[in-house]
This record gives sequence, C-alpha cells and structure tokens, in this order.
Amino acid sequence: MIAQIWLGLFSGIAFGFVIQRVGATNANVMARAHLMIDSGIPKFMLTAVALSAVGLFGLQAVDVGRTLILPTSIVATGLAAVIFGIGWGLAGYCPGTAWAAVGEGRMDAIFALLGGLAGTAVFAQFHEQLVPLLYDPTNVGQISLADWLGGKAVAVAVIAIGFGLCVWGIGKIWEN
Amino acid sequence: MKTDSRQSLSTYWRWFPASFALAGIILFIFATFGPPASSSGFVSTLKGFFQSAAPEYVNDKAHYQMLPGPGSWLFAFVIGMALGGFIGGRTLKIPVRDIPEIWERKFGRSRVKRYAATFTGGFLILFGARLAGGCTLGLFISGSTQLAVSGLYFGVVIFAVAMITARMVYGKAGKERQS
Repeated sequence: MIAQIWLGLFSGIAFGFVIQRVGATNANVMARAHLMIDSGIPKFMLTAVALSAVGLFGLQAVDVGRTLILPTSIVATGLAAVIFGIGWGLAGYCPGTAWAAVGEGRMDAIFALLGGLAGTAVFAQFHEQLVPLLYDPTNVGQISLADWLGGKAVAVAVIAIGFGLCVWGIGKIWEN
Repeated sequence: MKTDSRQSLSTYWRWFPASFALAGIILFIFATFGPPASSSGFVSTLKGFFQSAAPEYVNDKAHYQMLPGPGSWLFAFVIGMALGGFIGGRTLKIPVRDIPEIWERKFGRSRVKRYAATFTGGFLILFGARLAGGCTLGLFISGSTQLAVSGLYFGVVIFAVAMITARMVYGKAGKERQS
C-alpha cells in the first residue's frame, strides 16, 4: 500500500514534469494546437501512444504489468467525448494537465480544477440514473483491436503505423 | 511573426524526444501499477473530502464505491502531477500567465471571464470523463496503448470536437495575429 503511494507520487512527478516541459500545461499552446497552428502537442501525444503500444506488447510478452481495457458504450463513450471535447477546446486543459498547471502556478487552471471537482461531484450524484440510461444499453463490452484484427501483434502494428501516419499528416496539414 | 512565436516556444522540449520520455513513464506505470489515469484522482480527492464530511453519502454512492480514496496510487499520482508541474515551472524561464495570450487578445484582461470559462471547461471535461470512465490519459492514452476500441473512439471524438470548439471560441483571432 505504502509502496503504491510512493510509486504513484513518483510517476506523477515524472509525468507532470514532462508534460510541463513540452508545453502541454500551457493553455495558449493547447489552443494553438486545436486551431491547427502548432502541431507539437498532438504529434507528441500520438507518438507517445504508438511507442507505448509497442512497449506494452513487449512487457506483456515477458508477463510484466497489469492491463485493464475499458468497455465501449457507443452512446455514452461518444456523448462523453463530445462533452469532454467542448470543455477541452474551451479551457485548454484536460484533467491531467489541470493538476500540473495548478502546480505550475496558473490561476486559470485552479478554476479548471475546481470546475472539475464540481463536474465529478455532479456525475457521482447522478451515476445511478445516468449509467443505466446512457452507458449500459449500448455497452458492447471490453473490445480491442486485437479481437477485430485477429491478434495482438497485427493490432500493435496497425496502431503504430496508423498513429505514425497521423503524426505525418498532422505535420503536413497543421504547418500549412 | 511566425519566427517570433517559434522562438518563444523553442525553450519547451521538442515533441519527438519528449514523446520517448512520456512513453517511458507510461510503460513504467503499466509495469508497476497498471493503466495510468488522472480523472480518477478527482474522484479519490472528493471521496476523501466526503469521507470526513458525509461518510454515509460515500457509502451510498456507486461512483465513490468503485474507486479508492486518498490513500491510493490514483490520488498520489495527481498530487505528483502538481509537484511535477511545480518543479517544471520553477526551472523553466517561460513566464507563467493566469490568462493565456490568445484568450487575452480575443476576450481582454478580465479574470472573471477567463476563470468562468476554465471552471465551465473543467466541469465539462470531468463530467464527460466520469461518464466515459476515463480522460485523455485514462481512456485515450491508456486505452489506445492497450489497443482498446473505447480509447480510440474517445480519442477521435475529443480531438475533433475540441478543434471545432476552439475555432468557435477564438474565431479568426487565433490564426491572424500570432505574436
């Protein structure tokens, strides 16, 4: 238990430091990414995912680590993403960057964090009504690309190449 | 104009080496804990608050029962994120602003307006993240790394909607006057 807390703290410090260093905690940089002016942040995120997918495949091959695939609910996951996208485009913060930006000393991030606590409290209050209404009816389960493509190795290759192509495309389109 | 903004950004790390650093941290987290997540940290924080303020409410509510309170990896992680941001901010010579430049050009120096916008944005991202079961990190990054369809689906939609929203918020102000 105590070891887990120290691991969490250490992982958080490293994660927060790196996202600060690359500019992801700066809402100005994030807005310019969303407006297709600066391509650094989206390229950074997608490359990190592609590398992590390859790395995780390696870890799993030697039986290291724990994974948990979240289910897909066609309605709830999609609707939640729309709500999330509006908030992200408006504020320029996502849940993780808000914590790091608060540590950096950005006042507007403190309000994003407080708004986030309020949003969490409201969702938790109505969880019992909203989940059966929005999430459960179109929940198609913990599906993964590996199920669709008939194997993990193929799916990892598709993710790595697909995300790589996205990074290349973003570099082409954003900087024009 | 373009070179000015490039130079002012150049003290941030370049995206390519930084993505290797982040992937290394993500893999460390998968190896030592499991899928990384940050919106869950908000639930743990509130659970801690309500456990002392209204313990029966916590026991009653499914959303607080499904995640641990403050004595957990999830809570330590978000506190660590704030510490990492603090260390990063103190050791980099880029001024930290309360209102982003692009926002100030469009909406002026009103703090009330900016803070109201980030409070609203913060509300929406967490409400959405809790409905989906994760955020940019806990669902998109963690999920896609594990080849989860939920993460890819969520990721495509959040990027598309955020890009449309940013265009509606900033209009042409973002594109035309960059420095």
